[in-house]
Amino acid sequence: MSSRILLVEDDERIRASTRLALEDEGYEVDEAGSGEVGLERFGYQAADVVLIDLMLPGMDGFECCRQLRRSSAVPVIMVTARTDTHDVVAGLEAGADDYVTKPFVAKELSARIRALLRRARSMGEPATLSFGDVEVRPDEGTVIRSGSEIHCTRTEFRLLCELATNPGKVLSREQLLDRVWGYDYFGDGRLVDVHIRRLRTKIESDPGSPRHILTVRGMGYKLAP
Amino acid sequence: MPRWRRWRALGLRSRVTVTFGLGALALSATLAGLTYFTARQFILHERETAILRQAYVNASLARSSLLRSDSTDITQLLDSLDTLPGSLSVLERHGFWYATSFSVGENAIPAGLRKLVLEGTPATQHFVLAGSSQMVVGVPLPAVGGAYFEVFSLAELSRTLQILALALAGAALVTTAAGVVIGRWASSRALRPLAEVSKAAETIAGGNLKTRLVAADDPDLSALADSFNRMADALLERIDREVRFTSDVSHELRSPLTTLANSLGVLEAHNEDLPPRSRRALELITEEIRRFQRMVDDLLEISRVDTGSAELHLDEVDVGELTRRAADAAGARLVPVEVDPAVDGLRLPLDKRRIERVVANLVDNATQYAGGVTRLAVESAPGSVRLVVADHGPGVPLAERERIFERFYRGQAAGSRGTTDGTGLGLSLVTEHVRLHGGRVWVEDGAGGENRFVVELPVRDTVHGSSERSRANGAGSSQFEDDMTSAPRDLPEASTPVEST
Repeated sequence: MSSRILLVEDDERIRASTRLALEDEGYEVDEAGSGEVGLERFGYQAADVVLIDLMLPGMDGFECCRQLRRSSAVPVIMVTARTDTHDVVAGLEAGADDYVTKPFVAKELSARIRALLRRARSMGEPATLSFGDVEVRPDEGTVIRSGSEIHCTRTEFRLLCELATNPGKVLSREQLLDRVWGYDYFGDGRLVDVHIRRLRTKIESDPGSPRHILTVRGMGYKLAP
Repeated sequence: MPRWRRWRALGLRSRVTVTFGLGALALSATLAGLTYFTARQFILHERETAILRQAYVNASLARSSLLRSDSTDITQLLDSLDTLPGSLSVLERHGFWYATSFSVGENAIPAGLRKLVLEGTPATQHFVLAGSSQMVVGVPLPAVGGAYFEVFSLAELSRTLQILALALAGAALVTTAAGVVIGRWASSRALRPLAEVSKAAETIAGGNLKTRLVAADDPDLSALADSFNRMADALLERIDREVRFTSDVSHELRSPLTTLANSLGVLEAHNEDLPPRSRRALELITEEIRRFQRMVDDLLEISRVDTGSAELHLDEVDVGELTRRAADAAGARLVPVEVDPAVDGLRLPLDKRRIERVVANLVDNATQYAGGVTRLAVESAPGSVRLVVADHGPGVPLAERERIFERFYRGQAAGSRGTTDGTGLGLSLVTEHVRLHGGRVWVEDGAGGENRFVVELPVRDTVHGSSERSRANGAGSSQFEDDMTSAPRDLPEASTPVEST
């Protein structure tokens, strides 16, 4: 069965052309002309990936993404007309997994969707990875901290797995981009930074001075057991 | 009119100085003149009164002495008279002349006065004898049949007056000089705000549009400062508006471009369903839309630099590896990249995306105008590292070597080539990207007539900094930066602040 994509975009022509292009790539596409309609559609029929334009009339893309995140860990790609740090980071912090900039090409978009849909490698990984009071179960896709389950998005989960399978080892942003997002050398390091920050708020008792997910200046990040 | 213009050509400061000097001169000369004449009048009057009194006293003494005894020795009598220093007594009696000095006699007395007195009228007269000023008083003595004359030297008096005149002239000169100095000082002081305005205007012309004058307390000057600042604000706003317009246009173009690009993708995917003529048309559309897209991207990039919102995303990267990857990505996969062993493995804080664009644009430039890239190199230079992109030539004419880095500049090479894929912004973006890194770029001749485009990036020994992303011009601040400064632990990469040039 092909993957289902929910496209939240107010410009009708962009919506129509993107739909055509994505259908050519083999996806099933559902459309919504506003954030409100998008959330409604998603509640009605869940999608595998949601594409949200940041500039929407009424409820904007950030808010739409935040509301979606309350109930779902579905991968979200935001579409922005600007590559300015503010929009990109605000979008990622609202819960998006990745972003594309207009004008995007269906091929590039489809590559990102595929990367997000790629199943976490579970071969050869231990059933549970644990550090401190955190327990990660790659097979089940769950994270448990002090006995209670923590809700992570898929990207956050994969990032955490990547760090947890290499405890004490420094992973550069390029490596993390490659392994978690499936990106090449020129990927955007901001993706890693914002996701690390989000992960910290979930598993660190004091995200301001983390004890597990550490920054190694000039090199990258590492997990301290 | 020409004289007026010559006067204006002197400059405000000189004019004020000259005016002050002339004013001081006129004033002090008038005062000195008045003082001199008043003093002279007074002193002369005093002196004449004293002289007259003494002459009459002596005359009456002589008369009473002669009345008492007719046989008095007149010379002795004259000698016994109490006279002022430098004065001479002369007495005439029955046609005989007597004097206190042998050198003088009736000759010492002007003839007119002599005649008048001998006829019985007392008189005084000023005259000059042997170059010195004299005054003579003649008193007829009818009771004894003679006349008494006393000649006074006024030499001392004129010397006194001369000294007074000299002193006054000196004072006038000093006052004039003081006037000139004060005029110079006052005009400099009055013009100091103008000097500040001129300095501020120069800073603005130099590119620092945020320069403003500090509003002065002086109501005369605050108006000037206000209007200057208003002018600068208006200028800045105008520039901002233009830059924003470019940025807005580029952004607005992105939506239709997205539709075009996606629809085109669909058409290309179903390429084989189209008849050959339509396929060719589709190819043309595709090429042009790609170029259009690049142009919009480049314009946006340029406008970001212009608004000062361009951000450097610095990562510590291997310069050689970055160059190689960028060359690969730009389609120069087969071109050798020679890395100087001295800088092999050197890691620098660079914005990967920008340096990649630099290499890509230089490679594109070589492909379009100079038969393609022949060689890429990373060379070591004192305090810097150089990325060199060499091509087949022909060399860029000397006159165009700077101009080719200007926006939309099309040189001879471009003109002769008809349609190109270029956006006209490639090399100017190279300049901007490199400048954001604090480096520079130029083109030079290679040994075999080819061009060598050289990008020089500074190498700093130690890399400090707490901000991973530094803004090029520091305009505004983003939420991201705020986050970063409040939680610097979040930063995995070292970075360095950018020097805006």
